[in-house]
Amino acid sequence: MSDETAQNDFPMGDGPSAAETREKMLEVYPKKTQRKRGKQMLVNETPETPAAIGANSRTVPGIITQRGCSYAGCKGVVIGPIYDILHITHGPIGCGWYSWLSRRNMTKIRHPEETNYLQYSMSTDMQEDHIVFGGEKQLEQAIQEAYDEFKPKAISVYATCPVGLIGDDIHAVCRKMKEKLGINIFGFSCEGYKGVSQSAGHHIANNGVFKHMIGLDDTPVEAKYKLNVLGEYNIGGDAWEIDRILRLCGIHIIGTLSGGVSYDEICNCHNADLNVVMCHRSINYMAEMMEQKFGIPWFKVNFIGIEGTKKSLRKIAKYFGDKELIDRVEEVIAMEMVDVRPVIADVTTRTKGKKAALFVGGSRAHHYQDLFSDMGMKTIAAGYEFAHRDDYEGRDVLPSIKIDADSRNIEELDVKADPERFNLRKTQERKVALEESGFDFSDYEGMMRQMAKDTLVIDDISHHELEKLIELHKPDVIGSGIKDKYVIEKMGVPCKQLHSYDYGGPYAGFKGAINFFKEIDRMISSKVWKLTRAPWKDDSDSQSTAAKEPVAVS
Amino acid sequence: MLEGTTAEIRERKALRVNPAKTCQPIGAMYASLGIHKCMPHSHGSQGCCAYHRSHLTRHHKEPIVATTSSFTEGASVFGGLANLKTALENIFTIYEPDIVSVHTTCLSEVIGDDIPTIVKKSEEAGIIPEGKMVIHANTPSFVGSHVTGFSVQCAAFVNYLAESNGAKKNVINIFPGWVEPADMRELKRIAELLGVEYILAPDTSDVLDSALDGEYKMYPDGGTTVSQLKAMGDSLATLALGPMASALAAEKLTKKCKVDHSILELPIGISATDAFVNALRIAGDVTVPRELEKERGRLVDMVSDMSQYLHRKKVAIFGDPDHLTPMIKFLVEVGMQPAVVVTGTKGKKWAQNIREICSEANPEVEVVPFSDIHYLHQWIKANPVDLLMGNTYGKYVAKSENLPFVRFGFPILDRVGHRAFPLLGYAGGLRLIEKITDAFFDKRDREDPDHEIELVL
Amino acid sequence: MKKTQDFTTNHNTNQRRNMSATLEAPTTEKTAVKKMRKIAIYGKGGIGKSTTTQNTVAALAEMGKKIMVVGCDPKADSTRLLLGGLAQRSVLDTLREEGEDVELEDIRSGGFCSTLCVESGGPEPGVGCAGRGIITSINMLEQLGAYDEEQELDYVFYDVLGDVVCGGFAMPIREGKAEEIYIVCSGEMMAMYAANNICKGIMKFAETGVVRLGGLICNSRNVDRERDLIEEFAKRLGTQMVHFVPRDNDVQRAEINRKTVIDWNSEVNQANEYRTLAKNIDKNTMTVIPKPLEIEELEALLMEYGLFN
Repeated sequence: MSDETAQNDFPMGDGPSAAETREKMLEVYPKKTQRKRGKQMLVNETPETPAAIGANSRTVPGIITQRGCSYAGCKGVVIGPIYDILHITHGPIGCGWYSWLSRRNMTKIRHPEETNYLQYSMSTDMQEDHIVFGGEKQLEQAIQEAYDEFKPKAISVYATCPVGLIGDDIHAVCRKMKEKLGINIFGFSCEGYKGVSQSAGHHIANNGVFKHMIGLDDTPVEAKYKLNVLGEYNIGGDAWEIDRILRLCGIHIIGTLSGGVSYDEICNCHNADLNVVMCHRSINYMAEMMEQKFGIPWFKVNFIGIEGTKKSLRKIAKYFGDKELIDRVEEVIAMEMVDVRPVIADVTTRTKGKKAALFVGGSRAHHYQDLFSDMGMKTIAAGYEFAHRDDYEGRDVLPSIKIDADSRNIEELDVKADPERFNLRKTQERKVALEESGFDFSDYEGMMRQMAKDTLVIDDISHHELEKLIELHKPDVIGSGIKDKYVIEKMGVPCKQLHSYDYGGPYAGFKGAINFFKEIDRMISSKVWKLTRAPWKDDSDSQSTAAKEPVAVS
Repeated sequence: MLEGTTAEIRERKALRVNPAKTCQPIGAMYASLGIHKCMPHSHGSQGCCAYHRSHLTRHHKEPIVATTSSFTEGASVFGGLANLKTALENIFTIYEPDIVSVHTTCLSEVIGDDIPTIVKKSEEAGIIPEGKMVIHANTPSFVGSHVTGFSVQCAAFVNYLAESNGAKKNVINIFPGWVEPADMRELKRIAELLGVEYILAPDTSDVLDSALDGEYKMYPDGGTTVSQLKAMGDSLATLALGPMASALAAEKLTKKCKVDHSILELPIGISATDAFVNALRIAGDVTVPRELEKERGRLVDMVSDMSQYLHRKKVAIFGDPDHLTPMIKFLVEVGMQPAVVVTGTKGKKWAQNIREICSEANPEVEVVPFSDIHYLHQWIKANPVDLLMGNTYGKYVAKSENLPFVRFGFPILDRVGHRAFPLLGYAGGLRLIEKITDAFFDKRDREDPDHEIELVL
Repeated sequence: MKKTQDFTTNHNTNQRRNMSATLEAPTTEKTAVKKMRKIAIYGKGGIGKSTTTQNTVAALAEMGKKIMVVGCDPKADSTRLLLGGLAQRSVLDTLREEGEDVELEDIRSGGFCSTLCVESGGPEPGVGCAGRGIITSINMLEQLGAYDEEQELDYVFYDVLGDVVCGGFAMPIREGKAEEIYIVCSGEMMAMYAANNICKGIMKFAETGVVRLGGLICNSRNVDRERDLIEEFAKRLGTQMVHFVPRDNDVQRAEINRKTVIDWNSEVNQANEYRTLAKNIDKNTMTVIPKPLEIEELEALLMEYGLFN
């Protein structure tokens, strides 16, 4: 309790207040930029009723932004991890190259004779003449060659900026080749200029997965408790840790969308009785569409952090409602906590009261606050790179979100209940009963409700704002992306790269939490930050340190 | 590992598999980072800029600062004028560079944005502060490769900046080509050893290998200054290292300011370094100091010591044309046998040249420009080799075929040495021999049966 | 002291050229002995741009001028009369087929009176990007040295497709490309409307660049008071009518023979008309930033000259 009071008294530590910090960050901007960025930066004054944040708005040109493009969100994040689909980027070489193994969506082939296509980067390598004369023939030929050489079970095609501009109809080519080759072939119009960030690509990807894969395989799944984990991309093996824990509890995952998943698992995953959502931003569309078509309910979970993992497991158990499962979950938690407790006890002695800031993704800036809070650390500022208002303020704001020109260009699928396969997993009464006992379906409360009062919320933080934050507050650790990492570290602050985990992980679940605690402990305790200044720079004691003789050997 | 790759090579006309190149804009960005207080600016969707920054960051493990016009669908239809103007206003106000170096992307090239016109309009609108400037290079991704992007950007420096006021100064220009900061540092060290006054452009040393001292500088100390770029027009001569990356700029400079130029290979290995040192000696009218001769001698000594391990060893190698030519020369020099050579960049004449270099060591050498790593892998499956050399992506091939692997070229995402130690010059040659023999020896030490383990190698 | 070391290039420069890396410089005008005039002919589709351009070029060539004609229309029919109907491979076709190995000779053909003819070419309607094709072609010509001083060109003519529809079609009027624009028009309303629109485009590029309007060429459609109308229109735009080319069936007769009029029969009157037009262009020094008309003004003008009656 006393900790919480302390945090509320000094939400930003001993530096300037969130409001002052915000003013200082905005100071340098030209007027128009000031106005635009101002809407994306808020002081969390009323966490229970979050203020409206200008999220998912256009990036200001010239601002050093964290954001990427629609192609990165579609191919890079959502579809890219499906290991046994052969992925072809239709465009010049760069897009396929940069999305080649650069995101750590880990995977294992299921049988030795399978091919893991994630190790391959395939593209049409468009040249100038394809731009001028059109690239459809090149794409058609590329699909044929890919089929001849690799014989995949499915091929997916991604459009890049110039493809959209010259008007190549990738979908027509895919349909033609699907017919000809007799395998599933489908395309994604995820040109980089669509939308305002990666987020547009997530939506396009969700639509495509739903249209071209979900529901293709009705083979029943024999398992008592079966669910899908949506919005989990198996960075650093997170999905495997979640799978390990759920298995211990006796819960079967049909499909993890889309970390480490196979094509067949996705085609079969409508047989689940529940969808749990990790990254709300990237996959809530899918959760909604599957509920509409198949009657599968969904709710938000968070397997990042000890408390979050416990809460999520208990919620899943409560959903299925069997005493046997509820007890089993408690057993598993108790068992896992045996390993966790001593690590927290040890690490917290060094991490308690330390300040963190998080600027990452569309869910991690929220999820990782749980891990920091497990270690007694305070998050003074946080923000997403490409999230929408509902990820900040909660899904209750959805009806009031204005659809702007950039979002309108992304297709909204019209989904209806499947006449044969729609099946309510919970009767209406059971659902209502659950809800009355405090159970939330189809809900996400957002990041701001969970953040302390008077902390700072910054959407798509710019390079300049980040610099200012460090200058004014010197957080003990910052969770961010690769583009910011070394900027932050040059200033003597450790940065945990939370897109690809600095090639570590997993950080989900219990074992993951232990990894994370140890990692943050290492970063905060690392001697290297004390070495940044040469001893002779501070004239006071340098003489004595320099004069210390080495210990004689004899 | 790469389970789908078989030894059966099918002709591919449309499908690129595991490319050995990336796109032009990243080369322009890298070159621009080598200019002091320069902000590279990507005119297109923000994804390109994000990808290039991430990729360069992973390679250099350093901050890569660059801005973007952040095109939306609207900008793609109506043109990028408004976006670039806004961007320039923000950049000059917030980040205060001396110069903004705009490069295009496939998006802005297809819609045909005319950068000079936009820059002029920005100038008239008072967006570009007094004494600051904006330059540009056209780098559509569907033309050339990352190497030509670098080349086009270097030529843009000359086009916009080089001036001559008639009086030649006793200074030698060096276009280093696309090499690491550590290599740029090595080029300067050699020039300084020889006592030649030089201008190196671009120069990423002290920009992309800056110190960690608790203070962040958006524009680190290094980089060729704008005034140095201007002064290049008054230099006595230019050495352009690497024909693909540097010749264009050198030729432009000859045409614009009548500075004679000589195009050389990158100084990798003995003879290519000899050629560079000799050209510097002649251009600067100096004698080669004993110290540098001793360095050369130490390299030759090591080559002779290790000859037994290198002789007739078959090498599969992929990378960028400018890196490959002198590297293959060096492999031949030390007695190795280039077996298959692949680059992603186009270059039929380059390929012919490589075949000539290998004519004695291996007349059968397979040289394929505008190809990919997948092809190289398939070829190796049918024609076993002893060593693989190439960028980080080669490690999947190396693991799949259990080959000793020496990382070289761009990018290297999983090792740290390229940041600190040069591959250029005689010192770089020493490092190469070490890396190659280490790769062989590590494999032997790991795999040889106990009774064959050697204490001394 | 300093030796005159031989800094010869020891590399084949073709290789680099072939990379077709594009580069655009802020042109510092060369102080060449002979200044090449860079002219673009615009106008509404079907107005007779290509015919007028080729006949004018033929007349200039007859005067001893060295000229390159660059057709910037995906249909690739801008140099047919000069070449005698020989089907010529377009720059873009060549690029597509030859890949990196393109030489100037592959894409440039000699036509009537040593004129040099180039067709940019492009995709069929409905596919690809014709605009980008024009950018590609002009870049390629630059890289191959088609505009170099050594070529000793007096003129380069760009014959550009109807209306400027995207950035690519404006390529010839960007800085450093064409500097003088002539608009082919007639007394028909749509032709004048198109001409006015083209002036808007020129005005936009003229603000920041060197491009100027050289004048209107009236390719007569035998509309009443056509000469007066176009002269007045030119005046309002701030320019001049360079020449009034009367309608004459000899043009069609020559075309059927795949020839320019001068080539087909240098004696006929129409040949002299084109000679006059060529002379007027050759001696023209009046280049302006046009003042396009408001649509109401344009309509009023047409009323005044009785077109609407």
